[in-house]
This record gives sequence, structure tokens and C-alpha cells, in this order.
Amino acid sequence: MAIPDPIVEGLASGWKHIDASQLSQDQTLEADVVIVGSGAGGGVAAEILTDAGLTVIIVEGGPLKSSESFNMEERRAYPNLYHQAAAMKTQDKAIGIFQGRAVGGSTTVNWTTSIRTPRPTLDFWAKDKSVKGLSRQDLDPWFDKMEKRLNISKWEYEPNRNNQALKLGCEKLGWDYTVIKRNVKGCWNTGYCGMGCPINAKQSMLVTTIPAALDKGATLVSRAKVIKLEHHNDKISAIEAQALNEQMQPTEFKLIFKAKHYIIAAGAIHTPTILLRSNLADPHQLLGKRTFLHPTLLSGAIFSDSINGHSGAPQSIYSDEFVWKHGTASGDLGYKLEVPPIHPVLIASKTIGYGKTHASLMDQFNQLQVTIALIRDGFHEQSQGGQVQLTDTGFAIDYPLNEAFWRSVRRSFGSMAELQFAAGAKQVLPITEGAPYFNSWKEAKSAMETLDLGPLKTVVVSAHVMGGCPMGENTKLSMVDSQGNSHYYENLSVMDGSVFPTSLGANPQLTIYAMTARNATLLAERLKSSS
Amino acid sequence: MERRTFLTTALVGTAALALGVNLYIPEHIKVNKALDSEHRLLFSILLPVFLDDALPEVGSLRIAAQNRTLDTIIQTISLLPADGQAELEQLLDMLENRLGLLVLTGSMTPLMMRKPDELIVMLEYWRNSFLDMMVIAYQGLRELVLASYYSCPEHWSRLNYAKPTFLEE
Ligand SMILES: Cc1cc2nc3c(=O)[nH]c(=O)nc-3n(C[C@H](O)[C@H](O)[C@H](O)COP(=O)(O)OP(=O)(O)OC[C@H]3O[C@@H](n4cnc5c(N)ncnc54)[C@H](O)[C@@H]3O)c2cc1C
Repeated sequence: MAIPDPIVEGLASGWKHIDASQLSQDQTLEADVVIVGSGAGGGVAAEILTDAGLTVIIVEGGPLKSSESFNMEERRAYPNLYHQAAAMKTQDKAIGIFQGRAVGGSTTVNWTTSIRTPRPTLDFWAKDKSVKGLSRQDLDPWFDKMEKRLNISKWEYEPNRNNQALKLGCEKLGWDYTVIKRNVKGCWNTGYCGMGCPINAKQSMLVTTIPAALDKGATLVSRAKVIKLEHHNDKISAIEAQALNEQMQPTEFKLIFKAKHYIIAAGAIHTPTILLRSNLADPHQLLGKRTFLHPTLLSGAIFSDSINGHSGAPQSIYSDEFVWKHGTASGDLGYKLEVPPIHPVLIASKTIGYGKTHASLMDQFNQLQVTIALIRDGFHEQSQGGQVQLTDTGFAIDYPLNEAFWRSVRRSFGSMAELQFAAGAKQVLPITEGAPYFNSWKEAKSAMETLDLGPLKTVVVSAHVMGGCPMGENTKLSMVDSQGNSHYYENLSVMDGSVFPTSLGANPQLTIYAMTARNATLLAERLKSSS
Repeated sequence: MERRTFLTTALVGTAALALGVNLYIPEHIKVNKALDSEHRLLFSILLPVFLDDALPEVGSLRIAAQNRTLDTIIQTISLLPADGQAELEQLLDMLENRLGLLVLTGSMTPLMMRKPDELIVMLEYWRNSFLDMMVIAYQGLRELVLASYYSCPEHWSRLNYAKPTFLEE
């Protein structure tokens, strides 16, 4: 069946796109604004600034792919669309991290859950992190705007069985739950969001803001990895990028970008990495510190009937029962309950064991329900997150997992097991080395206290990276102000998830969309009035 | 030489011969170690252990699935970032030389000469080790093998899983 591909059509209509892998010489390009990264932050900024009449270049390290090449197979999606082929890990290998790397960034592969920033998070930022002008009242008009732009609305279909179990468990236990809003238009409910939407229904940056910016004359440069920013006194003077070949290896060619203003939107790991590599002013040594992940735990449950967790909208129900239960910054770290899509490589690799035991788990693939707990990190004094550091060959993320974290993990495994049994699970398997299949909540509950948890024993993953270049008004706490503008360079802004001073306690995309929409609009006004 | 045929038709490995002892060699493994720049021999010994019960039972299908997985493992490794590739390469090299084996497994006996039960003992030793390095070795190999195996659509039938077909319609 032919599905219109806006990228193929746009390129045919004459979009300005440079695939740096095809370069045969160095290039220098100029514009009013250069944006590094084309994900949630970069995409929104590109559309708004282009709309305002400014010339814009978007520089993206990943390739330009489109629905034409999204074939719903992990073996193609992970290497084409994810950083490190989806095998990224923290330095000690205890946490697996998923990040998008293609035009559209993580939005090209994300699961479409769209949540406004929780009020307690914004209150905490205002009170403890010197963030100004970002209350829900301030942000709500921007949420309204972006929800409209990206067709974000409540998912009206029946949840798939994987989500249904989460809902049923919450109903049985009297726990809070919410039907998720998704950014989709004409969604076929297939369940392959994580491999790139094959029908262009997901309103990712790949099919919304980036095509809109290109239609209006913006330039997209793909497979160009930004290495560093040149700077002099308090101004950025140029950005240097390395052309990559189709295998994403550096070629001999370089690109230089010059602009009046520079926006870094390379995501929470790479924005700090680029800024560190550029040796920018950082008098309080904040860059790369306080990187947050919503470290996520998995609990498997076997049901007697089919769950088919690969089929249908991946996320449509969440529970905030435990997110704020013990306050914002004190007490145990809160966690959000959701479910992931269930596909063979993801499940085979993010479970425990091998041989017979693993094969028998995989034999029950379609009866497998998976609940995840996303731990809200960065609020508690014993939850300082991780640190991104430069290495000789690139970067490393150190993310220590301490006692406070493991306490919450234990509690979250308990909550997930209780929920899964309440929803009718026959057996529950916390995904941590040595845990047995539990046959009842009673059995699980008494065993939870002594479950042996720890790094490299317990599977911990994350698809949410935040922080590392925090915003605020106090320069001892922040690198950029509350509008994303650098404290130290007059023509530099950061617009992506790296500016969050803590994690959110909610899935990040909508927060990044709304905050960037506001910040890019303010920047456009400023740039226009100064030209 | 075409890789897939190479595993099944080449002469018995020189590495094995050099050991000059009674070898335990799974029947389908006939490989010239000198040509094995991609650690296919090593993986072909580990695969049946990692994938026990997941691989098809019928001999020819089993061999096909193993060869398919070997190809995919090599492809998967090539997609890892340089750091990851270097770490893995170091581990694989250690598993292919006696001193490395001694360090990692407490024995110099080449993996080719170990029976499946002994390989399980080795994996369990790493898996439960108090040394992070051992656990990481186990997990690295485990993820590589399992992800490579389950990434192939040919291996999905046991899962009763198939991707939707609307794109082919
Ligand atoms: C599998 C998955 C599922 C998710 N599901 C959800 C969900 O359902 N709901 C939700 O709210 N959030 C979800 N997220 C998270 C969400 O997509 C991200 O939080 C959001 O996209 C981050 O936006 P960003 O602009 O900070 O970075 P990104 O969107 O990651 O974009 C950064 C871009 O910068 C590029 N880049 C990096 N370094 C360089 C460089 N040196 N040079 C040039 N370009 C560079 C990257 O390749 C990337 O394209 C998910 C993420 C993943 C990976």
C-alpha cells in the first residue's frame, strides 16, 4: 500500500538538504541561526525561527530517513535511528540508554506519550533551582499551542492488552491512573512507534516542524556531527562539524557554520559533550553534571491469555500513584508506572539469563506483560543523577546508583508485582538476577524484602535523558537562564532536555516542545528587533 | 570465500590441531582458525549454549539458524561504537588465547574442548562473579548473541510473532 512520504515529496519539491556523506570538499555555510540537533528542541526551534523570517540551518549528526525505510524491524531501526545502535550504556554498564540519532532525533523513535510538566516539578525548580517565569500558568499557553500543532489528544481507542493490564490493576487496587495523550494523526494502532512510524501518523519532528521549516526555506544538513563551537570573548564565532559517511564514520571533509545566533539542541547527553569539547566558560563546573535518566525497572508478568504487547499503541495508560507520594524532595524517590512496547530484540536483551530458561520465557512472548517503573531522580539530595565526561575517544556517562535509589527500586518491584497480580497475572518475574517467578502477590510480597538488587544484577534502562546544562537565574546553579540563553555567550542558547534542573517525573517530549516554543519565540523577537 | 559455506566446508581448524589432543568439536564446526578473523569459531561454540532450546531441533535448520546468527553477530559488532568494539575485541581475544582463558575462566582448556555443561559452568561463574569485569563479560556476550538471534525474522516463529504485513500489500 502506498503511504505518502513527506520527506520524499519534500526533497522532490526542492528542499535544501545536504547529506554530508556525499560531500567531496569542505563547506562553509551561513545563516541567521544555526541549530545543532533536529529532535524535540531543534525541530520546534527551526520551525518557529523560520516562520519569523530568519534564515536557519539545522545540523544533524544522524541520517535523514523516512517512512520509506521504516520496515518495522529492530535490526534496521536500531542501527539507523538510535545512538550506538541502541546499545549505549553508562560507564559501569549498569544502565542501558536509548537515544534517537536521525533527523527528528528521539522523536522519530519515541512512543508518543505526551504529558504536561507536573506542577510539583515546576514549583521545585522555582523554589530550589532559581528558575523564573516557568509556572504552569506561564507554560499552559505554550502547551496549548504545541498540543494543537502536534495533534496531541487523548487516545480514544481501547488500550492494548499490555496497557489494559496496567489500567485493570490500578482499578482493582484503587490506584490513580490516566489515559495518555498522544501526538498522532491517523494512527493505525500498529505498535511500531519505536522503529520509526511507517505510516507517518506519529507527529514527530520528522513529519511536522522540520518539513514546515524546510518548506519555508530552511537548510537541513544531515550526517554532520558537530565537534565544537569556536568562540572569542563572549561570542560564538562558528561551529565546526565533521562529515560522516553512510556507515557513520568520519570522512575527510569538514563543515563550518556561521551565524548571528547559535542554538544547541543535541539532547541531554550530547549538548553538554559538545560544550565541554568546545572549552566554553563554565566557572562553576556544572556542564555534564546532574544528568538525569528516570532510571527504569522492568517487571514481567505471564498471563494465561494473549497480551500481544507488540501490537497497538505502545503507551496509553500511566499511573502516578507513587510519583509524589512521599513529597517532592524528601522521603523515598517516587516512580511512575507505565508499560513499554514488547518486541523480540528489546525483550530478549533486557531480560535475564540464557539457554533453556531464557528460551522458555521467549516461548511465552505473547503472554508476556511488562510493566515499567520510571524513578523520578534529581529532587532528593541523595539523587544527584549522573555525569557526562569527555574521554579520549568521545564521552562517558557515569551514573552511580546509591542506597536511596535501590530502596525505591525495591518498592517499585513490589508495586509492579502487586499491580500485575491484581490484573490477573499467573506469574510475575522482576527483571533482576536471581529473582524467581512468583506465583502470587503474597509470595512476591514476602520475598521482595530480601530480593538481591544491585548494579549489573538488576536490569536498569532509560529512554529519557535530561539535564547536564541546567537553566536558572543563579549562575552557581545554571549554565543558561530560564529562557535557555547562555549566561556567558550573548549569541548562544540551549533548547532541549539538557536544560532541566532535575528530571520531570513525566515523559519529557511535551515539556521540551512547549519550553522551546516559548524560548524560540522570545529569541526570534529579540533577533528581529536587533537586526 | 563465501562465509556461510566457509564454516561448513573448510578443513578442521589449525588451532584445534595445534593442541594435539582429543578435541570436543560440535559436529558442524570445521573451521580453519587462520581464516577466522571474526571470531566465528568462538561464537559457534558459545551459540548452542546461549541459545539452547531456542534453536531449532532439526539438524539442518539448527545449523542454518546458527550460521545466520553468526553473520548477524558480526554485523552487530560492526555497528557498535569504537570503544565498545575495542572492549569486545579484547574479550574475544582473551577467550581465544590460553592465558586469557586462564584469567577469565581459571583454566587453560580451550573453549572448543569444553563440553556444553562445562561452558554453562563457565558462564554461570562469570554471571555470579563478584568481579564486575566477569559479569560484564557475561552480559556483553549474552546481549550480543540473544539480540543478534532474535533480530532475524527467520527466528520469530517460535515466538508466534510476525511484523504486520500491510507494507507488503
Ligand atoms: C525509544 C524512546 C521512546 C521514547 N518515548 C517517549 C514518549 O513516549 N514520550 C515522551 O515524552 N518522551 C519519550 N522519549 C523521550 C523523548 O523523545 C526525548 O526526551 C526528546 O526527544 C528529547 O529531545 P531533545 O531535543 O532533548 O533531544 P533529541 O530528540 O534526542 O534530539 C537530539 C538530536 O541531536 C543530534 N545530535 C547529537 N549530537 C550531535 C552532534 N554532535 N552533532 C549533530 N547532531 C547531534 C542527535 O542525533 C539527535 O537527533 C522517548 C525516547 C526514546 C529514545
